[in-house]
Amino acid sequence: MTAVNVYKQRPDKIEGQSPLHHAGLAELVGKGKSGAGVHLREKKLLGHLTLRGDAKDPAFAGGVHKALGVELPVALTLVANGSLSLQWLAPDEWLLIVPRGEEFATEKRLREALGNELHYAVVNVSGGQTLLELSGPKVREMLMKSTSYDVHPSNFPVGKAVGTHFAKTQLVIRHTAEETWELVVRRSFADYIWLWLQDASAEFGLAIEA
Amino acid sequence: MSQVNRLSRGGRIDRSQPLTFTFNGETYQGYAGDTLAAALLANGVDVIGRSFKYSRPRGIVAAGAEEPNAVLQIGSREETQIPNVRATQQALYSGLVAASTNGWPSVNNDLMGILGKVGGKMMPPGFYYKTFMYPSSLWMTYEKYIRKAAGLGRAPLENDPDIYDHINQHCDVLVIGAGPAGLAAALAAGRSGARVILADEQEEFGGSLLDTRETLDGKPAAEWVAKVVAELKTLPEVTLLPRATVNGYHDHNFLTIHERRTDHLGETAPLGAFSAPQARHRVHRVRAGRVVLAAGAHERPLVYANNDVPGNMLAGAVSTYVRRYGVAPGKKLVLATNNDYAYRTALDWLDAGLQVVAVADARSNPRGSWVEEVRSRGVRVLTGSSVIDVRGGKRVEAARVAAIDPVAMKVTSPGEWLDCDLVASSGGYSPVVHLASHLGGRPEWREDILAFVPGEGNGLQKRIDAGAVNGVFKLGDVIANGFEAGVKAAAETGFKATAGDLPRTEKRVEEAAIALFQVPHEKPTARAPKQFVDLQNDVTAAGIELATREGFESVEHVKRYTALGFGTDQGKLGNINGLAIAARSMGISIPQMGTTMFRPNYTPVTFGAVAGRHCGHLFEPKRYTAMQAWHVANGAEFEDVGQWKRPWYFPKKGEDLHAAVARECLAVRNSVGILDASTLGKIDIQGPDAREFLNRVYTNAWTKLDVGKARYGLMCKEDGMVFDDGVTACLADNHFLMTTTTGGAARVLQWLELYHQTEWPELKVYFTSVTDHWATMTLSGPNSRKLLAEVTDIDLDKDGFPFMTWKEGNVAGVPARVFRISFTGELSYEVNVQADYALGVWEKLIEAGKKYDLTPYGTETMHVLRAEKGFIIVGQDTDASVTPDDLNMGWCVGRTKPFSWIGWRGMNREDCLREDRKQLVGLKPIDPLKVLPEGAQLVFDPKQSIPMTMVGHVTSSYMSATMGHSFAMAVVKGGLKRMGERVFAPLADGSVIEAEIVSSVFYDPKGERQNV
Repeated sequence: MTAVNVYKQRPDKIEGQSPLHHAGLAELVGKGKSGAGVHLREKKLLGHLTLRGDAKDPAFAGGVHKALGVELPVALTLVANGSLSLQWLAPDEWLLIVPRGEEFATEKRLREALGNELHYAVVNVSGGQTLLELSGPKVREMLMKSTSYDVHPSNFPVGKAVGTHFAKTQLVIRHTAEETWELVVRRSFADYIWLWLQDASAEFGLAIEA
Repeated sequence: MSQVNRLSRGGRIDRSQPLTFTFNGETYQGYAGDTLAAALLANGVDVIGRSFKYSRPRGIVAAGAEEPNAVLQIGSREETQIPNVRATQQALYSGLVAASTNGWPSVNNDLMGILGKVGGKMMPPGFYYKTFMYPSSLWMTYEKYIRKAAGLGRAPLENDPDIYDHINQHCDVLVIGAGPAGLAAALAAGRSGARVILADEQEEFGGSLLDTRETLDGKPAAEWVAKVVAELKTLPEVTLLPRATVNGYHDHNFLTIHERRTDHLGETAPLGAFSAPQARHRVHRVRAGRVVLAAGAHERPLVYANNDVPGNMLAGAVSTYVRRYGVAPGKKLVLATNNDYAYRTALDWLDAGLQVVAVADARSNPRGSWVEEVRSRGVRVLTGSSVIDVRGGKRVEAARVAAIDPVAMKVTSPGEWLDCDLVASSGGYSPVVHLASHLGGRPEWREDILAFVPGEGNGLQKRIDAGAVNGVFKLGDVIANGFEAGVKAAAETGFKATAGDLPRTEKRVEEAAIALFQVPHEKPTARAPKQFVDLQNDVTAAGIELATREGFESVEHVKRYTALGFGTDQGKLGNINGLAIAARSMGISIPQMGTTMFRPNYTPVTFGAVAGRHCGHLFEPKRYTAMQAWHVANGAEFEDVGQWKRPWYFPKKGEDLHAAVARECLAVRNSVGILDASTLGKIDIQGPDAREFLNRVYTNAWTKLDVGKARYGLMCKEDGMVFDDGVTACLADNHFLMTTTTGGAARVLQWLELYHQTEWPELKVYFTSVTDHWATMTLSGPNSRKLLAEVTDIDLDKDGFPFMTWKEGNVAGVPARVFRISFTGELSYEVNVQADYALGVWEKLIEAGKKYDLTPYGTETMHVLRAEKGFIIVGQDTDASVTPDDLNMGWCVGRTKPFSWIGWRGMNREDCLREDRKQLVGLKPIDPLKVLPEGAQLVFDPKQSIPMTMVGHVTSSYMSATMGHSFAMAVVKGGLKRMGERVFAPLADGSVIEAEIVSSVFYDPKGERQNV
């Protein structure tokens, strides 16, 4: 047996249920307010991998680049390569998000590129979190009602990502385009975040996107 | 009723928009733009309430936050009741319903008023200290009496229909106050491109400029205000917050602003955009690079006899009502002052076509520009004089003016009574130092302006003061000072301000004030008619003198003794006068006396605003597992475990907790049950040193755990006390999966990271939480193998897949890791799948389990089953004072591990080795139907008199359906050596439950049922 157990955890033919499955978001599409200032879309059931390693070690950084085609992002930033994104979470921790079902192959590719000698970790966390995309002219103001982190563009430009307080919990906020933001939400807190977002967005109008 | 005191023209009100409102049941009319106080004065309402202690009639005194009397109850319905609203700060709206908070049964005919003198004697100064302290058992009785009599407003009894929220703001410059200094500062900083917030507590920006008679650039000052506000609105990084009181200045330049968003529109907030509820109030939580404090100053009244009769007002407030609201609160004015600025009130009064009876100026020969203007208009100016007494019941009828010597505190002439209906007084101006002092910075006394200004403080505030709060009072200087402050604040936050033109102000000669606080009277203070210092708390000059005579010399003691500065106005009006009187009484200077502490909030804040949206369904996050929808659909009752909602039990029709739990327990023992165990903490551990790390954080040894196996582990803190437990499995040589308690998940991960990062960074290991990734369902019971076999491709042969091992394979078509571990003592399989696919797997197990009568069970059954086996729950059977040996779990301590580990040293302290420590044992009640209450204290001798010698307590206690009798776990002193002995639990109802000390393992002590 190898030193680490790498296991394909997602079934091929069975449809999964995202953390917000019970909210029935698909049924709310098109039923939101016209002229809504906040648009919400769940980018559900993606492959999420936590990557740990020593960024200063060229073997690690090089291996990641070889496997993913992107450089390790520096502190508080996010890089993307097509449908893949890699986000700095901590000095030795990154969040890799890939399309649904690609997480197993991606993990194997990473492990192959990084080799057996290097100390690093790759952990599949796909079932534990989901991605919510928020877009629209009022998203920033809605975020101000939700987090004490400064979301002004001078402090939070596009390409920045932070883990921070949000209402009474915590999550990751990613600024992906001028009026587009993403929230990385833990599964068990997803319902609370969904309730909070509906409430905080009400004054700006909320529309659910497919 | 007509608006008897409304001037025919002038003011910033909109006379085309009359608004109807009621006060104490009477209907009145005011105009849009009025405050409630302005509208009440316009209608000639003199008596606004009764005083706290003496029940004397009181009227409106001020026009701002310092108002002590017009503190009203607002709201037409029970659910919209708002207590303690300052009428001076409440905009008038159509349909407003207001009532006095004081005055029982009515303000004009008050039983308490007749008994007033009695009430006063019943409550001499020191009432708080002397009466409330002893006997404390009577406090509730006193409180009812005081509340009823004092009538500080009441909270609504029904749910507030409105919502409140919070918003987080970050800015380079926060400007507090939008008077001349604040506007100039905001303009200077805003033009630089800095992020600026300008907050002001009033309905509109402008502060003193909204009622000043001074001009800017030769035009009314309000025109300059409009121009500045218009420019500020064009600056994209400037946020303007009217109706927003900066209430607290906290550490790290964090300030809280309380914005009243809809209080001017009605008693409940109308629906806003998208038909969504609007927050009635919003708290802005602001991080500011720099604060420009431009909070202005409060005028001080003079303290003369009967200065509380309605019709005694602040001079500046009279000007505000005349010029800003077109209201004349009287006809015949006597003005008492010690300074030039108050003369503007006489001029404003004359301009309104009203009579100024006289001006009494304490100075001997005032010659300032406004003084001369007042003289030139034929007003009698009495110098070296003051108002020393007032006559009148519910309204001023006359004022006695006499010559005084303010240094000797003597009246030097017989004086004369002047008929009047309004006495306006000004004793100078007190900078609003409150916010500057919230972090402990002490205000500093400036003798040249006879006022406290913000101190340099302790460096905790990055703050620049501007305008009147900074001791700068002349309008031109105020604007320049504000502009400079804005430039400086911008520069200090990295922005370059551009030069700007300041408006031209009028030139006038102004002379200094003289010190005058309490006005002398012929009689000594104690015998003179009451001279009120703090109107809201009925504190008199005599009361303060009494306090100092009784030895309460610290200003804080004077405050507590007299109640000076308590209440909703927190001494805004009276405190400086009060401490000046205390200082004189003790023969020390005002700065020697010092001020009391200033604390947030500056003005009262409704609880709704404090709570924000963190109420109702958003009060606390509720965490759910992937199977939550099934649990709800199948009638689970839920238990809170941390923030998780866990199924507690699944009652069938007609079942209570006990019946359901008994059924669930028997199902597990006799066939098979299923538990949602997803909430257990799960930590993925990878790295070549993972095994060594486990050796150091667990009490037991991990070196020899083979791949494919799992082991139970205990974790201790450094002191040797148990703090978490769980099973950890070896997934591969360098790969482990640790489980923790539900509540300990985050704590344990932080603990591992802490030790890795600070103590053993050389160990190559990474920890990642996978709690939410894996959903866990536990099949437990003798039929669990048969059931699982129907839905899995894993070989479940007992030798190939024995107890305390794990396997990979598909369960219901989903890749799974299955662990043969047990918390019930039965044959068990913990099935872990990616949470996205868990509900489907769960449902397939339920379906397949029908023929085995598969029974879903909750945490209560889990607790009973594990207790029957003597398995501990950390946090229930332990309390951070329990070692592994205390739990009789010495088998789980690796006494020969080569590298020391967390807790080893601690648990070997002498005290931890005592044999009479409280130890975990089983208790079997002698009466098998009696269930010991959890937490019950235990004694060896039930006949001992109180206080009895307590020897331990019950930690877990249940009725066992399996065994047919009650049982419990408990910690008992030296319990492990007392097997077979009796203990007693004396209960609060006088009964005693007797129990036998037995092994904590009640059921299947050899573990034959789980290891099959």
